[in-house]
Amino acid sequence: MTLSLEDLADLIDGRLPWPQVKAIVSAPKDDDRFQRLLGILQGRVKWPERILLPLGDHLYIVEKGDQRVVKCDCGQEFGDWRSNWKLQALVLVRDDEASLQEIWPGRSAPDAKLCEVREYLCPGCATLLKVEATPFGYPIIFDALPDLDVFYREWLGAPLAHEIASEDQSLATIRQWSAELKGSIT
Amino acid sequence: MKKSLKEKLAESRQAYAATGCYAGLTELRLLRSDPIKAELFHSRLLAALIAGREMTKMISGSPYVREVAELAIGLYTPEGDNIAQSTGIQAHSRPMGEAIQWMIESDWEEKVGIEPGDLFWFNECSIAGMHPADVYDILPIFWEGELVAWVCTVIMEMDIGAVSPGCMPAPNVERATDGVRFAGEKVGVRDTLRHDIVMKCEMSFDMADMFLLDRKGAIAANLHVRREVEKLIGEFGLEWFRGATQELIEEERRNQLARLRQRTIPGRYRSVASFEYYMAQQPTSWLPAKRDVIRLAPMETRIEPWGRVVLDFEGAGEWGWHSFNATPSGMWGCLSIGVVQTLSYDGRANLGSLLPFELELPRGSVFNPEDTRPLAQANIWATTIETFSSWTTTLSQAYFMRGFREEMLGFRSAYSIAMMGYDQYGQRRPLLAACTGTIGSAASAVRDGLDPGAMLPTPEVDRGNAEIWETFVPHFDLSHRLDPYSAGAGKYRSGLCMPIMNLIHGGREIVGSALVSGGAYGILPNLGLSGGYPGGKLIRAVLHDTNVDQLIAERRPLVHELGHPADPDYARLIDAHISHPHHIPEPFELANGDITIDAHGAPGGFGDPLERDLEAIRRDLENGLTTPEIAARMYGAEARYDERSQNWWIDEEASAQRRKEKRAERLARAVPARAFWAARRRQLETREIHPLISEMYASSMRLSERFAQEFRAFWALPAQWRPEVP
Repeated sequence: MTLSLEDLADLIDGRLPWPQVKAIVSAPKDDDRFQRLLGILQGRVKWPERILLPLGDHLYIVEKGDQRVVKCDCGQEFGDWRSNWKLQALVLVRDDEASLQEIWPGRSAPDAKLCEVREYLCPGCATLLKVEATPFGYPIIFDALPDLDVFYREWLGAPLAHEIASEDQSLATIRQWSAELKGSIT
Repeated sequence: MKKSLKEKLAESRQAYAATGCYAGLTELRLLRSDPIKAELFHSRLLAALIAGREMTKMISGSPYVREVAELAIGLYTPEGDNIAQSTGIQAHSRPMGEAIQWMIESDWEEKVGIEPGDLFWFNECSIAGMHPADVYDILPIFWEGELVAWVCTVIMEMDIGAVSPGCMPAPNVERATDGVRFAGEKVGVRDTLRHDIVMKCEMSFDMADMFLLDRKGAIAANLHVRREVEKLIGEFGLEWFRGATQELIEEERRNQLARLRQRTIPGRYRSVASFEYYMAQQPTSWLPAKRDVIRLAPMETRIEPWGRVVLDFEGAGEWGWHSFNATPSGMWGCLSIGVVQTLSYDGRANLGSLLPFELELPRGSVFNPEDTRPLAQANIWATTIETFSSWTTTLSQAYFMRGFREEMLGFRSAYSIAMMGYDQYGQRRPLLAACTGTIGSAASAVRDGLDPGAMLPTPEVDRGNAEIWETFVPHFDLSHRLDPYSAGAGKYRSGLCMPIMNLIHGGREIVGSALVSGGAYGILPNLGLSGGYPGGKLIRAVLHDTNVDQLIAERRPLVHELGHPADPDYARLIDAHISHPHHIPEPFELANGDITIDAHGAPGGFGDPLERDLEAIRRDLENGLTTPEIAARMYGAEARYDERSQNWWIDEEASAQRRKEKRAERLARAVPARAFWAARRRQLETREIHPLISEMYASSMRLSERFAQEFRAFWALPAQWRPEVP
């Protein structure tokens, strides 16, 4: 079921009434949904870079020269897409009773001894980009590392100009932090 | 010479391994040559299965069947591969086939005999299935002396003969304590149950009446499906039937791959789940079971270039002596329901829906114990639902990236109090009311979640009529209200949950325990997306020695909703001794007038709560689905009630100002991720970790050097670093 651009825009803005959303869910999927959605999103951002993939409500992987970076719609950049964008975010950590109670009052709060909740914020616009609830001390989660070139080349049949292997580069940042930490200790 | 079932099964598997196509079918000759005929054929198969299921509901007496409808029927090839599945609980489509395949591979044909009219039972979940309460009734279908199909019905039993308390007992940790198990026993011939088996059931179960009535329902359903299959073979011919049923599986495999390529993005996805098993104080005599542990389940989903999906659980913690371990069969079962609810919901789901998936379940882990035979398995749902609720969140992320934002769907586990005792009729019974239908769904990226009615194990969720449950269980249902505090907040909030509140009445000598279908308690599940929060922790309260009689006499209110979690209604309205057992409580006594409460947290919201539409907040206030306190605290909305017009009103200007202040406050409190990393790293290095968390990481590292290396690498810990084991 191919949606009109107006209906698609209304759908992603949460403006379509439920009976219409239900009909879309029940109908066969539209093969060109991704490209049409990208067109709408591209028309809404204020910066010129080409959107390659939406990562979240405000986050995108964009083409910047021969690089691909994660970018917030406010313009804030979070570095190479192959490195977890959360490492470049601000984080509000809830790991004590008082801060957890702000969200989950009384007995609905998780156990501060066992659980931590990390809220990743955009330094540019203070938007809450991701809430992560984990056991205490669990590494920051790299939610999604899309294989962009396989997707564009093999699934969409429209290869990207500069192919880049989809390998997790997050540890490079960790190594840099570790070196800085050792430097500051010595 | 006629091939044995064992030979056919081996050939089918070899053909799949050689071609990557089910049964080696590289072409869909029959389905493609006459699509109308093929469609008619499939719809008649499906109609037979659904009609069989409805028939069972009419015959059975158990509210688990009649009210909650925890049953399903599947049709299988002679090799035990699922061709089609009725509506209902979708977990069993593959495990029922595994049970048949186990019988085939264990020489049932030769040593037990498989004849027309033979009836077999199976609930030996160390081999195949979810937990002992799910009983499979298996019937072979013959045509001119040849076994051409199997039909299998699953029904969840209220009583499976488990050691008290309940039919899904949490404190019982050894296999003999969690009920009677059948491993493909031939329990009937000529479509009739054997008299000695009926007598055994009457001796074994407190609710033998319910158990045997369910069997009658299942046998009737199976006979109906057999009759319809015979009609189909008569009309379409045996060769067509045989070929088309195989092609339906291969067609669905191809369709599933096409769906994955159309709706997702290839790549690597990660999440984590954790399970808390508090067993130290449980009344078990098996000493290795008496310990509290938390087990970790890192989850990596890889969607490969050609669409295959690998779910890799490397780093999962070790199995233990408790009834919550999963098994490969149970994991496949739970994957199949996840898949049916999110991808293959067009009525064509069968084994082919699962063929593009691979599960990597580390040996010795909580997902794959070395030897499941000695273990109780009553509560396998605790681990599997928690895991696949997390996985559906991952799938939602993939749907979001591909643009199918309306398809995002997520779940969370539910709990309730199970009991054992004398009921209101003076009979000794396990007393377990279902907790299904009480949980809201996660938000999607285009709308709020479904206010309750979301349950991973079945798309057809139904809590049932309170009045019917009250005739089976000695309690009164005090609440069917939506709990505003249960929501996972977000630009789109999750659906709301209904608290379960029961007033014990009419029974005696009742012991309470728990129905545990989730593993999370103190650690919230990681279910929020794009800035949405997960709902909070389960609030469980038991009110003893209440003044309910007095309140009723004085016509004063009882408790019907949770209220604010920091000042709950149950503590304000009822005079009582209140205890707050955790999700796996030690058994406790219940008397008439006591009240049990389970107020659940919902799954995750979507998006930054400060972006929630003010009109949506106003609408929720009008409908009692949120409170002004939540509106201000979570959404930065300034709301007030206008007594004159009797409407809620939101001050847009004041709300904009409050949201601006909240954003500024966030920035002031947040730190760069690097600072968080350095602080947490220091705590790990100096081992400032709770002993349960420390042991949890140690357990995962004992099983997986890869996990240990990744953990140390992320936190830049020395190569020899290991968590301390208390």
